[in-house]
Amino acid sequence: MGDAPIAVQLTGIWKRFPGVIANSDINLSVRRGSVHAIVGENGAGKSTLMKILYGMQKPDEGTITISGTEVIFQSPSDAIDAGIGMVHQHFMLADNLTVLENIILGSEPTQRGVIKNETALTRLTQLAQQYGLDVPFNSFVSELGVGARQRIEILKVLYRGASILILDEPTAVLVPHEVDELFSALSDLKAEGITILFISHKLDEVLAIADDITVIRAGSTVATVNLHTQKVSADDLAEMMVGSELPTPETRGSTVTDKVLIDVSNLSVLTAAGKPLVDDVSFKIHAGEVLGIAGVEGNGQAEIVDALMGVIKSTGVLVYDGEDISKWSTRKRREQGFGFIPEDRMRQGLLLETSLWENRMLGHQTLKPNSNGFLLTPADAKSDTARIVDEYDVRTPNIDVFASALSGGNQQKLIVGREMSSNPKFLLAAHPTRGVDVGAQAAIWDHLRMARQSGLAVLLISADLDELIGLSDTIKVLLRGKFVADADPLTVTPQELGTAMTGVKKRDEIGNTS
Amino acid sequence: MKKGVKIGAVLAAAALILTGCSSNNNDAGADVKVGLAYDTGGKGDGSFNDAAFAGLTKAQTDLGVEFKEVEAGLNATDASREELLRLLADTGYNPVIAVGFLYGTALGNVAKDYPDVNFAIVDSVVDSPNVASLIFAAEQASYLVGVIAATASKSGRIGFIGGMEIPLIKNFEVGYNQGAKSVNPNIIIESKYMGPAGDNTSWNVPEKAKTATEGMIAKGVDVAYAAAGGSGLGMFQAIQAAGGPAKNLWAIGVDSDQYTIPSLADVKDVILTSALKRVDVSVFEVIKGVVDDAPLTGVQNFDLTRDGVGYATSNSSVEPFKAAADAAAEKIKSGEIVVKTVK
Amino acid sequence: MSRQKILNSLAAPLLAVGFSLVVVTIILFAFGSNVFEVFNSMAVYGTSPRSLTLMLNLATTYYISAVAVAIGFKMNLFNIGVNGQYMLGGMCAAAVAGSLNLPGVVAIPITIFVAIAVGAAWAGVAAWLKVARGVSEVISTIMLNFIALGLISYIIIRTNVGRAASFNVRGTEIIPPNGRMVGWNLLSPTIKVYGFIIVAALIGVLYWFVLNRTVFGYDLRASGLSVSAASASGVNSKRMVVIAMLISGGIAGMVGLPDLLGNDPYSYTLNFPSGYGFTGIAIALLGRNNPIGIAFGAILWAFLDVSSQILDIENVPREIVTIMQGVIVLAVVVAYELVRRNRVKSEQQNVGEALTQKESSAS
Repeated sequence: MGDAPIAVQLTGIWKRFPGVIANSDINLSVRRGSVHAIVGENGAGKSTLMKILYGMQKPDEGTITISGTEVIFQSPSDAIDAGIGMVHQHFMLADNLTVLENIILGSEPTQRGVIKNETALTRLTQLAQQYGLDVPFNSFVSELGVGARQRIEILKVLYRGASILILDEPTAVLVPHEVDELFSALSDLKAEGITILFISHKLDEVLAIADDITVIRAGSTVATVNLHTQKVSADDLAEMMVGSELPTPETRGSTVTDKVLIDVSNLSVLTAAGKPLVDDVSFKIHAGEVLGIAGVEGNGQAEIVDALMGVIKSTGVLVYDGEDISKWSTRKRREQGFGFIPEDRMRQGLLLETSLWENRMLGHQTLKPNSNGFLLTPADAKSDTARIVDEYDVRTPNIDVFASALSGGNQQKLIVGREMSSNPKFLLAAHPTRGVDVGAQAAIWDHLRMARQSGLAVLLISADLDELIGLSDTIKVLLRGKFVADADPLTVTPQELGTAMTGVKKRDEIGNTS
Repeated sequence: MKKGVKIGAVLAAAALILTGCSSNNNDAGADVKVGLAYDTGGKGDGSFNDAAFAGLTKAQTDLGVEFKEVEAGLNATDASREELLRLLADTGYNPVIAVGFLYGTALGNVAKDYPDVNFAIVDSVVDSPNVASLIFAAEQASYLVGVIAATASKSGRIGFIGGMEIPLIKNFEVGYNQGAKSVNPNIIIESKYMGPAGDNTSWNVPEKAKTATEGMIAKGVDVAYAAAGGSGLGMFQAIQAAGGPAKNLWAIGVDSDQYTIPSLADVKDVILTSALKRVDVSVFEVIKGVVDDAPLTGVQNFDLTRDGVGYATSNSSVEPFKAAADAAAEKIKSGEIVVKTVK
Repeated sequence: MSRQKILNSLAAPLLAVGFSLVVVTIILFAFGSNVFEVFNSMAVYGTSPRSLTLMLNLATTYYISAVAVAIGFKMNLFNIGVNGQYMLGGMCAAAVAGSLNLPGVVAIPITIFVAIAVGAAWAGVAAWLKVARGVSEVISTIMLNFIALGLISYIIIRTNVGRAASFNVRGTEIIPPNGRMVGWNLLSPTIKVYGFIIVAALIGVLYWFVLNRTVFGYDLRASGLSVSAASASGVNSKRMVVIAMLISGGIAGMVGLPDLLGNDPYSYTLNFPSGYGFTGIAIALLGRNNPIGIAFGAILWAFLDVSSQILDIENVPREIVTIMQGVIVLAVVVAYELVRRNRVKSEQQNVGEALTQKESSAS
């Protein structure tokens, strides 16, 4: 295996922006038919490197060699011609087209100007079988889940003749069983001689799939590890990345009080067609308690959160601090101490094309320091934003830049900082550390723990089962809109939880292997 | 007042003869520059505005005047119309003729400030010593084509297509109805307007007029009259498409003699006659007055007695109906018949 | 930084105007006109004191219309119904003003109030349809424009609100001198700058203040940027649609007032101009919904309209100004989008650079 020819060779790559160095002396060789992971903190220079490799930016110095030939990419289309394909973190698919139409979009096989779908279908069916990428070609993309969409993106790239795949944070949006499916597909691809560049900062996943790992820190390649010949642990990698130990989300000591802060009974959310998304769910959260909800995405977590925030219609009774607040508007809930870290920060958490300080107001625009209830107080809001940026280590040159200019992790830190700054009594946190690098993750966990100690009640939803187990005082498993099991975070393992989430095993209490 | 008008007309006629005798050339008006202002999108309507243009070109050939045409822009206001007229007066155009009642307020303001310039306005009355207000008895012309329509109709149903639903156009309808009923008291008249007051598109929606006419034909209408500016084309087309004269379906035009308008040549065979509003005559008279140094002023009433209105006979198919129409015209002139109007 | 920002925001409109000048020059050249002479005579005529006054007066009207549209735009509502709203609002206000014989300090506020109330009510129909029935405001406001025309026509022709304003023209009762806002001879002794220009300026200031300095304005902008984020932040989106539409309609209701209170015949007649709403859409786009930008847009538009009057006299088709205006709007929409994308991209880059700099200086 070590003798496999080199598919991609980057030598001495430098990329300087005026007065700044984004990549300094990057050296990387990727063997054909291997999965090569590139890990590094947010802002370490992974993106710049991938943009260079995909022809979106030109290096100032250094050479790119593809399969032994030195190349100079003027644009992504040059890179595509050289057999490089990129699967972005955010899928670029048209919902109202079929899978087939999406894949061939832009390179439709035509005969005298007429699209020949059959030709494409034949080739794609063959490709799909060859690489074990199973997708329903005639379904509409809107009907498909995240995992299938990702497979479509990969097929799209392969269809265009790529032999080198760049996957940018491919597992960020997937649930455990989908990750497994992806990894098995990647193995098939590898076996067929496809080379895969895998960008991630989930170290355990990287360790599970990669053949080689290259660590990037502050723009330079720090180390490359061949997993077949060298032993390396997640902690070792983390140390290489940040120069510190990998944090754990473990909560020490219970702070649960006997004061019931949130009492939800018979909560139901229906689709327009009357199908239940959340089906008669009841639970209580005490002050100082973190209630974790485990579940495969799309089983009603998002709807529970939205219903508690009052953003969507629901039935049932919500008692907050002894008062029935089922009829309260979203605004009143927020004013009275609901904090909200949404699952999809682009959709619910940020105004992308607005300054950071105006984003600091979002959700708290009626409260100090943002306003006096009627008039905005921009000066106060700005100074408070500067404080958040400082305390939560939001990496930004100033607070006037658009939120869209920040990396995902820094956006998340801003949101967490904002929500914690209003001293919430009840926090709805969906994937609070999604897309955040290890250092910041630990900081967010610390903030949550501190708030919990002072009596914060938290409803936590996370796809990161370690995080869920580590932070929660109680865990409930949600399947098809219903709680199907409780788990004790002190004893349950991620594997057991994962099994319960997919509904394979149904037990009232898991984790207690009595 | 009327007497004055008549004397003026006689003088004008005399002057015409005199100039005709004295020089026998056509440049008596060489130093007269005529400014003519249309309203928004007016020129080229094959109807009212083009009639004014016909008078202008006649003045050019017969009298040798120079002229300048201007048009109100989109979204024209009274203020912008006023500026347009001022511009003409400022640049030395005299007379300045405004086509259409929309210029009423604007012309009133401008005329005050330019007492030495002669102004004229079509279809409106502006009380100023240097303004000729050119008023047409369109209801009389409409009465005559009403008589023709009722005589020509075999089904006992006739139609009326109006442009914008405003009093000015209502007068066409009222005269037409009265004329038709004088022939056949039981006649049924279908009437449709292309838009409410203020909807400036009303004058230029031939497709809408076409649909309306098709509807009327389906109800049995066999003669229809349009007083709708450029929209009238749609009525001609609908009648032609339904078979035209071969099936005894006829159209009646308005303002100009639409049978002879080049842009309507394709549909001319269905145009039995047109209710004439001799804007051309009035414009020519205004220019002539200035050329002869005897400008028209005051309210100039162009009615049947002055040949200011009438009906067109250029299509020979109208021959069988002329007797009835001419008889009615005589009765109107003599005052035996009074054609009603709306306020 | 701030200079960069100003340049950024000026780049798009300047590019658009420049581009449209090029297009018009080519057209004029193709027609064999003397391009320089045409532009020169437009400039000379357009800057005469009378023309400048007319320009300000027209710009006053355009400004109010564009602000009405911009408020909708700010939250992705497309109020195409400004036309109907100002016509109905203007007609009712003129009718009320014509029937009042009170001192100006009382009569004028009443007139303005009626215009606002009627404009808002008419827009409110569209808002209700959208919120309760899910009807797109684009469709409903267009329909309501036609209904307003018909209604006005009916009222003025068939009821005793209408009277003969002049020959062949019907309109509302003439507004008595007390109730007018005729303005002042600021630039020319023969023509007055509309008094309503003060109200228009006030509307601009209020628009800016409400949008940028109040919680309500924040909610409105947030709704425009992201409905889902706004709703998660506690904005009741349906209520917001209704309020925004009512405000937009209320301001639209005043669009006719500069003319009605400042110029002959001081009556809402059946030939009152009917296209200010569409001009307002163009100017709101041009001014990027910014109160200052809209002011410049309105003045530019009015200047072109006024100075185009000379073109007929110069034997140049005046349609070139319409073409120019059309090209400006098209070009500006494209240019803004390019500038926006450029800004998003360059900010991302700047942040990236700045951070790398920080990191490398730290290590």
